[in-house]
Amino acid sequence: MLTGAKRRNGAVALVLVGAMLLSLVLSLSIGPSTVPISSFVPSDLFGALAAFLSGEDVAPFFPDETAYLIVYSVRMPRVLAALLVGAGLAAAGTAMQGLFRNSMADPYIIGTSSGAAMGAAVAIVFLGGMFLPVFAFVGAAGATFLVYALATRNGRAPVETLLLTGVALSMFFSSILSFLMYSAGKSLHQIIYWMMGGFWTVGWDDVALSILIIAGCVILIVYAKDLNILSLGEEDAVHLGVNVETFKRILLFVSSFITGIAVAIAGSIGFIGLITPHVMRLVVGPDHRMLFPAAMVAGGIFLLWADTVTRTFLGDMPVGVITAFVGAPFFVFLLRRRSRA
Amino acid sequence: MMRTDHLSAGYGTEDIIRGICLDAAEGEFIGIIGPNGSGKTTLIKAMSRVLATRKGAVTIEGRLLDDYDPKELARTLGVVPQETSVGFSYTVGDIVMMGRFPHHTRFTRESPEDYRVVEEAMAVTGIGHLAARPVTEISGGERQRVIIARTLAQQPRFLLLDEATAHLDINHQVEILSIIRGLGSGVTKIGVFHDLNLASAYCDRILLMAGGEVRAMGTPEEVLTRENLREHYGIDALIQTHPVTGRPIVLPLEGTAHRSSSSTGSPPAPSTRVHLVCGGGSGSGLMYRLTAAGCEVTAGILCDGDSDTCTAAALGIEFLCIPPFSPIGPEETAALKEMVAAADVAILTAMPIGPGNLANLEVLCDQETTPVIIYMPEGGQFTDYTGGKLDAVLKCIEEKGAGRISRVEDLLSSLK
Repeated sequence: MLTGAKRRNGAVALVLVGAMLLSLVLSLSIGPSTVPISSFVPSDLFGALAAFLSGEDVAPFFPDETAYLIVYSVRMPRVLAALLVGAGLAAAGTAMQGLFRNSMADPYIIGTSSGAAMGAAVAIVFLGGMFLPVFAFVGAAGATFLVYALATRNGRAPVETLLLTGVALSMFFSSILSFLMYSAGKSLHQIIYWMMGGFWTVGWDDVALSILIIAGCVILIVYAKDLNILSLGEEDAVHLGVNVETFKRILLFVSSFITGIAVAIAGSIGFIGLITPHVMRLVVGPDHRMLFPAAMVAGGIFLLWADTVTRTFLGDMPVGVITAFVGAPFFVFLLRRRSRA
Repeated sequence: MMRTDHLSAGYGTEDIIRGICLDAAEGEFIGIIGPNGSGKTTLIKAMSRVLATRKGAVTIEGRLLDDYDPKELARTLGVVPQETSVGFSYTVGDIVMMGRFPHHTRFTRESPEDYRVVEEAMAVTGIGHLAARPVTEISGGERQRVIIARTLAQQPRFLLLDEATAHLDINHQVEILSIIRGLGSGVTKIGVFHDLNLASAYCDRILLMAGGEVRAMGTPEEVLTRENLREHYGIDALIQTHPVTGRPIVLPLEGTAHRSSSSTGSPPAPSTRVHLVCGGGSGSGLMYRLTAAGCEVTAGILCDGDSDTCTAAALGIEFLCIPPFSPIGPEETAALKEMVAAADVAILTAMPIGPGNLANLEVLCDQETTPVIIYMPEGGQFTDYTGGKLDAVLKCIEEKGAGRISRVEDLLSSLK
């Protein structure tokens, strides 16, 4: 039964992983100055390894020391962070679309992005940008907590109530954000830059932080089967033995945790969390056991290329500009193709 | 055994159902009926832990519903909801396989046993050919069968059905309900029914709800009575016996009990006494219209087992009756004469006349006291099986002033 679909999904997985590896290598090479792939590899592999393990500088082992610095100190953290943030946003978007049974949902739907933006604006206006990632994370996660708490009655938080509370709270946070922007004076452009999202200041410590995104994604994948059933509707999920309220809590908090980390690293980048799950559902089907990994890899690749394009050709324009500029027409194209079929 | 003990539940601050006591024995099929808004669906939701109980308790095999772990409950109790919309385009096979979820731990993969159960569930519900189709692209009736298959794949010992077959065609209704009843003594079934005749045909016992409370509980014969239907559904209906299954069948009568008299125009003077000479179903409609209009109706002489006899019995009309295919004797003739004499008017309906019922007409011809009306609805006619005697008798009745009327409305107004 269904072996045809399984074989196809296997092929899709292979293509996705291959594309990811290729993108990684290419995006390390491409940039304002192109670095040949040959200079990625140390000329003395074992010497470099020994030096790395003993904590010494490995730069001298590479054929071109400048190329080494560009690739491993500047580009690689940025490339990995883009990949992980894209993957995280796609996974959180998939989770929200499954929870709300709506392919128009995204990771920010229950106030996450406006909460994060408000947190960031507070840090920029009052602390001159100090602890900005922390404030953004607290804003994102805090907004989710608040929405959940407000939507809960008698221990239950119906999905519709969550959605409406999220919308209402988003509006509320946005008005505070508007007030902060209005009174921000000279730091206004900083807030706007942050809100568009980008990877300008990313370093290896951000990559270390984004490992947490992987942890969150693993949790989501573990619960993929439960999400399949929840996406049939809450009552059906109760009948089929899902502990609905507990699972919703896990789903909301893991997703907002992932989103919070992503936002803290790169600002609120839109469209990835909306379009990637949707597109991958068309490709691999709605089963979240396959959809989660596929959307993660695709989201990672998408954001990686968007960032590579902006830093190479567009003078490091905010990457959020690119994702929507490319994503929206593609999305419309898909919708039209699907409605014709 | 599944049981609710003085169960109350509802939404907001309002209790929709109050003090529901229900006791389903192992293997029993219990039907829940009641007019819209009587709390049937709320009861199903409270019994399946979708809705929290306010007062009272639900127990399965002596254990409180709340003591069950979610997956354990799903292995024990299957629920087919009223309507399910599926947002994403899972295939039919995927959806039915989800019925195996409560049998899995988090990391188990589908076993050959799972595939066997799923395929069997799809086969009995007749959706095997749809296995690879997206569930978003099949019809509503097919989708309902998918949900039923998914529930069967759970292999539950208790089954709750909320109008599970309401959207299906009659063939699938019968098929699915037969499958559900055929699950046998190992599975206890409790289902909400809109169709009273399906409930009667398939259920061992029926619970009648109205206004959130239990109004009647018992065998279909005990619950599906004319009084219960009038009181709780506000309809007048004939209750007859299904000729094959022996279960009661409900035949709703036109209009509601209290409205029908006004719909016939100006009603005849109350308690006009009418005697009907009819048979073979020619008088059933009149019996109902006349009683609904407030007339006191008698009928006869009828045969045992004749459909007019059944109607008369169901409506509680006084009638004379002889065993089928036997001639009318002098005793019966005397009784009929008395009955006709007591009536203000006698009505003779167009019907086949043979040696067995010619005596009825002779009585009408022989008397002078009661005026006779011949009721000949469109398409109705007297068929002669008496070898020519009928014409003479009819002529005799007509010569005494009997007119022919073809419409019930005219008949009723002539009774004023």
